Amino acid sequence: MGGFFSSIFSSLFGTREMRILILGLDGAGKTTILYRLQVGEVVTTIPTIGFNVETVTYKNLKFQVWDLGGQTSIRPYWRCYYSNTDAVIYVVDSCDRDRIGISKSELVAMLEEEELRKAILVVFANKQDMEQAMTPSEMANSLGLPALKDRKWQIFKTSATKGTGLDEAMEWLVETLKSRQ
Amino acid sequence: MFAKLKKKIAEETAVAQRPGGATRIPRSVSKESVASMGADSGDDFASDGSSSREDLSSQLLRRNEQIRKLEARLSDYAEQVRNLQKIKEKLEIALEKHQDSSMRKFQEQNETFQANRAKMAEGLALALARKDQEWSEKMDQLEKDKRFLTAQLQEMKNQSLNLFQRRDEMDELEGFQQQELSKVKHMLLKKEESLGKMEQELEARTRELSRTQEELMISNQMSADLSQKIEELQRNYSTLEEQRDHVTASKTGAENKITALEQKEEELQAFIQQLSIDLQKATAETQEKEKLITHLQEKVASLEKRLEQNLSGEEHVQELLKEKTLAEQNLEDTRQQLLAARSSQANAIDSLETRVKELEQSLQASEEKLKQSSDVVTAQEAQIQELASANKESSCAQQQVLALEQQCTEQIHTLEAQLSALERARAADHAAAERKVRELEQENAGLKESKNECEHSLQHHQLELKKLKEEWSQREIVSVAMAQALEEVRKQREEFQQQAANLIAIEGEKEQSLQEKTEVILQKEQEILQLKKGHDSALLQMRQLQSELEALRGLRAEESEAAAAREDLLRLRGQEQGAVLSVSEPHVTSRAGQDPTYQLPAAEGIPNGEMGTAMDLGQLQKEKQDLEQQLLEKNKTIKQMQQRMLELKKTLQKELKIRPDNELFEVREKPGPEMPNMAPSVTNNADLTDAREINFEYLKHVVLKFMSCRESEAFHLIKAVSVLLNFSQEEENMLKETLEYKMSWFGSKPAPKGSIRPSISNPRIPWS
Repeated sequence: MGGFFSSIFSSLFGTREMRILILGLDGAGKTTILYRLQVGEVVTTIPTIGFNVETVTYKNLKFQVWDLGGQTSIRPYWRCYYSNTDAVIYVVDSCDRDRIGISKSELVAMLEEEELRKAILVVFANKQDMEQAMTPSEMANSLGLPALKDRKWQIFKTSATKGTGLDEAMEWLVETLKSRQ
Repeated sequence: MFAKLKKKIAEETAVAQRPGGATRIPRSVSKESVASMGADSGDDFASDGSSSREDLSSQLLRRNEQIRKLEARLSDYAEQVRNLQKIKEKLEIALEKHQDSSMRKFQEQNETFQANRAKMAEGLALALARKDQEWSEKMDQLEKDKRFLTAQLQEMKNQSLNLFQRRDEMDELEGFQQQELSKVKHMLLKKEESLGKMEQELEARTRELSRTQEELMISNQMSADLSQKIEELQRNYSTLEEQRDHVTASKTGAENKITALEQKEEELQAFIQQLSIDLQKATAETQEKEKLITHLQEKVASLEKRLEQNLSGEEHVQELLKEKTLAEQNLEDTRQQLLAARSSQANAIDSLETRVKELEQSLQASEEKLKQSSDVVTAQEAQIQELASANKESSCAQQQVLALEQQCTEQIHTLEAQLSALERARAADHAAAERKVRELEQENAGLKESKNECEHSLQHHQLELKKLKEEWSQREIVSVAMAQALEEVRKQREEFQQQAANLIAIEGEKEQSLQEKTEVILQKEQEILQLKKGHDSALLQMRQLQSELEALRGLRAEESEAAAAREDLLRLRGQEQGAVLSVSEPHVTSRAGQDPTYQLPAAEGIPNGEMGTAMDLGQLQKEKQDLEQQLLEKNKTIKQMQQRMLELKKTLQKELKIRPDNELFEVREKPGPEMPNMAPSVTNNADLTDAREINFEYLKHVVLKFMSCRESEAFHLIKAVSVLLNFSQEEENMLKETLEYKMSWFGSKPAPKGSIRPSISNPRIPWS
């Protein structure tokens, strides 16, 4: 009953918060991206054991952004947060050539989830300010993105510390979310 | 074996034929024995013979009985043998004839067969060699083609890879371009918006300006009016000033008069003062004199008293009287003087008073005049003040006007400055906008150029693609042609295979026939062997019998009767054997006549022919085997090539489709190494304590957040919490319902179900 009315209200006012998950291996820069998006500053972070959730407003759209810890032992809990997710921001360390395979397998396992079937995928090729960073196309290939079907996805080269690329990515995400509604 | 046997038989027959009847008997005996052996059940005899050799002693008794029987039979046999020999001779003649004819036939057929076979072998060898050569050429060609194709394929792959890379780059570039374009558009829109705003501002400013200009006009008009008024006022002022000058002149005249009068007055006053001083002096003198008089009177009084008191001193009194008379005289003098002075004074005062009155009169007149003049002056002064005030007002007005004008000018200046600033700003904006527009246009142009370049490159790529496609189609055509050629080759191969199969079939047939023949030969050999065995055994028996006979011949005379009886028996047997032979001979002849192929094995009986055919056959078989092996190898290579072709086609098709579909599934097929960890039970982890610590920390963090965050966020955390704390489905649902109740405006609180209480007593979640 209440849910029905609240859904009517939310549909009337259109203030439903978009739910976004930031996922990725540990040390990819998820928390830095989250706070860069929220307050526009680079904060010093510690490894996230657990998660961070913040409300980010971008272009009159409200996002409830969940940054889930990416350590190996707590990666299995990601799936507890998948329901009702509108978009997934998958952050990959562009310099971590050794673990891109793990990143790919995690991504593939995640995308197989039924609850994330309609979620938009945005891949952040993070740490592009480093010298030995891989190019986005290289990363897309090594993550197996071109083989994805029935999924809206885009890869952006970003640098959370420099703040580059985040706006374009969010712009794309907002446009895609708007066009999907 | 057979050949030897037959040789023997032939030799025997030849020997038998040549010497004539002398050696007929042993031969006939042998023949007979052979015949008898063939007729009798030879096995018994053979076994008996073999056993008799092993233990003669035990058999001797039996032998003796047999010998007796045999001797009885022998006589019969001898006759039978004779008869049989006759028959046998006949049969032998017939057999020889038959053999001759069959031999001839065999030879002829053998020759024809060999010739045919040689021809066929040659033809086949030639055809095979030709085919082999052709095939090897074709194979070489195919291999060349294959190499060429693989090289082309490699090139194509590289090209396609390059193409895809380029396409990716192009896509990326296009994306960037579009992003840039959208940015540029966005900026343009923003600029246009700002321009519109600026224009609106400008319009507002121009409106303000026009208003201010109007105001200025009004103020100008006002200032003109005011200036007119000022002029009038100035004119008034000048007239007034003239009047004032007149007035001031009259005033100065009056003042001069006044000053003269005042001087006069002062003089008069000074005169009056002198007079008054004189009067005062005179009054003072009179007072003094009156005082003196009073004093003197007192003295007089006192002296009279003294006189009255002091009568003794008349001299003195006289003197005193004298003095008194003197003093009285003085007194009278002074009184007179005083009276004179008084009178003079009164006269002077009277004159003075008259003069004062006159003066006062004149003063009054002059004062009146002065008053009049002062009235005039005051009036004039009032006028002047008025004028001054008017002047002040006018000056104020002028000042105001000036101030207004200044203000106006200032305003105008400011407005003009603003205007100019605005215009400048506008111009600057315009210029900036134009610059930006130009920049944007330049950017646009650059982008267009890049786009054009990209398009050119795209076209180039497309052309390349087309070329490649054409090449590809050509190659496909080539490949199709090759496939066709391959198919032709395959067909040819199939034909060859068919031919080979036919050949094989023929060979198989021949082999079959050979086998059949060999079987027949084997049968015959077996028969011959059996016959030989029988013959040997019969010969042995015969020899035994002969030895026995020789041994027994001594006893023959005695046993002639028994021999006669035996001969009867033998005769009977011979008849039986004859019957058997007569039965068996047509069987043989019918067998011989049935098929000419039966004659072949007989023909093969000739050693040279047999060896030759065997050699030829071996060679042919070897060749056939070689050819078959080659065929198999070629089939294998063709199959491998076909597989490769298929693989290459598949890969090419995949790459042409750009997105290979299987890649994802390949990846998806891997379940991922974390799958066992998916179950959040801690015990599964190898590093138990560490994981538990992390999990505990995680649990703590999640629960803390769950309790502290908003309900909408907490709602998403229910699942995590319930997974971490092993909640049952009911408990999870209960949590969800409770949160929904909290979040919603309506609804009733979900009743606490029984599932809560058991959780307290439930040992599933240890609290300690």
